[in-house]
Amino acid sequence: MKRGTFFQFSAPSIATMTILMVFPLVVAIWLSFNFLTFRNINAPDFIGWRNYIEVLQDARFWQSFRFTLLFISMTVPLQMLVGFLIALLLDQVSPKIRGVYVTFVLLPFIVVPVVGTLMFKQLFEPSGLIAWFFRAILEQRFILTEASVKTLIVTHAVWYTTPFALITFFAGLQTLPQSTVEAALIDGANRLQQIRFVTLPHLQSLVVFVALISIMDMYRIFDSVFVLTEQNPVYRAETVMVYNFQVALTVQRLGKANAMAMITVLAILVVLIPFLLRTYREQVGGK
Amino acid sequence: MQPIRNPVAKLGIHFVLIAFSLYSILPLFWTALQSLKNVRQANSRTPLFIFEATFANYADLWLESTPENFGRVGFALIAVTVVLILLALVARYFPMPSSYVYWGVLAGVAVVFNIIPRIIDTAEFYDYFINTLIVTVSTVIISVSIGCLAGYALSRYRGITGLIILIAALGFRALPRMAFVLPFFWLGRATGLHDTLFLLTMTLVAVNQPFTIWMLRSFFMDIPKELEESAMVDGANRFTAFQKVIVPIMWPGIVSTALFTLLLAYNEFLLARVLTQSNWTLPVAIAQFTGGEDPGHITLASAAAVSATIPIVIVILFFQKQLVKGLAAGAVKG
Repeated sequence: MKRGTFFQFSAPSIATMTILMVFPLVVAIWLSFNFLTFRNINAPDFIGWRNYIEVLQDARFWQSFRFTLLFISMTVPLQMLVGFLIALLLDQVSPKIRGVYVTFVLLPFIVVPVVGTLMFKQLFEPSGLIAWFFRAILEQRFILTEASVKTLIVTHAVWYTTPFALITFFAGLQTLPQSTVEAALIDGANRLQQIRFVTLPHLQSLVVFVALISIMDMYRIFDSVFVLTEQNPVYRAETVMVYNFQVALTVQRLGKANAMAMITVLAILVVLIPFLLRTYREQVGGK
Repeated sequence: MQPIRNPVAKLGIHFVLIAFSLYSILPLFWTALQSLKNVRQANSRTPLFIFEATFANYADLWLESTPENFGRVGFALIAVTVVLILLALVARYFPMPSSYVYWGVLAGVAVVFNIIPRIIDTAEFYDYFINTLIVTVSTVIISVSIGCLAGYALSRYRGITGLIILIAALGFRALPRMAFVLPFFWLGRATGLHDTLFLLTMTLVAVNQPFTIWMLRSFFMDIPKELEESAMVDGANRFTAFQKVIVPIMWPGIVSTALFTLLLAYNEFLLARVLTQSNWTLPVAIAQFTGGEDPGHITLASAAAVSATIPIVIVILFFQKQLVKGLAAGAVKG
């Protein structure tokens, strides 16, 4: 395909992305150097780096950042481990029954995240099923505290992100050549050794892929934390995105919020750049 | 891993899988139960599993007041819906291109949704539902059409520009939404587009574009170049060849991509929350139901949650294969 034709075909898409993603990002950078509230929304006031300094000195920002890191380090390994184990089991089931299981297992993935969070929360309300379980079996009341809200956030995140890891790993298992498995069998490998030396190496690139995608998705988690904490600072369970939202729309410091967004963008580049380089190499190699 | 033959172990596998399935649907199951109870039953301290089901919560949610002739109106609406669905199902047997029938059905649906608030006193939740439908459908149509053109071009063009666009798009997809949302908010306020469905739709299209072009490109890569080249030898220009030869073959891939776009647009909370003030979509409306002190909020919130879930579950039940295929395709190709 010629360069001219390429641009004819991709012009609408490139224009949309330029006008609505690249341009806003430039605007965001510019706004982050301005003092901007709802009062002077049409007349931003340039103040240089002061927004950035203010964010970096903000204790609540660092608290939310620490919680985000803790959250990522707990949810990503958990969802991958559970997803991998269930994928292994699903691989053992005959294709007909498999479809039924997949329908159920996909449900957390397709439910609107806000709605899923709401449903999850219902279980823990005083009238909820799990709250009753706590009272009846464990003989203690389930109350919302800092620890329990944080646990809830992690549990819910694992609940609704596992299907993605599960289906991805399951698809990867389908491409495992039967001959490799048979060779391992002839060598006398038991099941654990097969997983360790055959399945895992085969899935290695997928594991990296799922880990990277999950880290980036968990980093920008917003919906479920917003709903579960009800924006109540008592639980100290804000993620960076939720705090950023509050600075923008509750405190109404738009300039500072933009500066915070830029800092979070810089922070995710640590993961993003290796990911982009890896994709670049794959694409060049794939030609 | 080699297949497990031991019957006891097989039983164990099914046991774990059933347990995991139950864990996956437990929240939905409980919420659906709660939505069918009255306020007193829903707030009972010991969970009730056997009770007299009531649809009053759904009526409260969707209707301002219950009309007297509700039975007849409801029956008429259901009849019209069934006719439209049947039309869509038998479209291919008509002596005209089936796409005309589909557009006709779509127009019929639009007319029905327009008539409903005139004959029934609907509540705000209905407006939010319609907003969501408009935003979702327009996002899917716009995003997939322009994404198809770009995805096709990116799969056939070998220059470095294409690669740079792909990598840049991937980078933008991974960035936190907050980096785009706040400028949109500011621009919307400055231009007066704030709180319009137009701004929300275009924003969703843009945010979704990187994912769409990547996914469609990977599907287009599987289609051999020779197909459109032979059409072009026969005198068709590239666009005609693309439209008449490639798109029909690509249809399953396009449906897969459209499904993910649909999920994204239907689910989006942050963008909709920031960019709208009264023209809410369902996720924003439902988020308002959380954490009320009023004991009645449990049943109403449950009804709202189930109402928002049913349409998406129906869509996915129809297209589950394409969804799983899409997930798997994204995974295997990285």
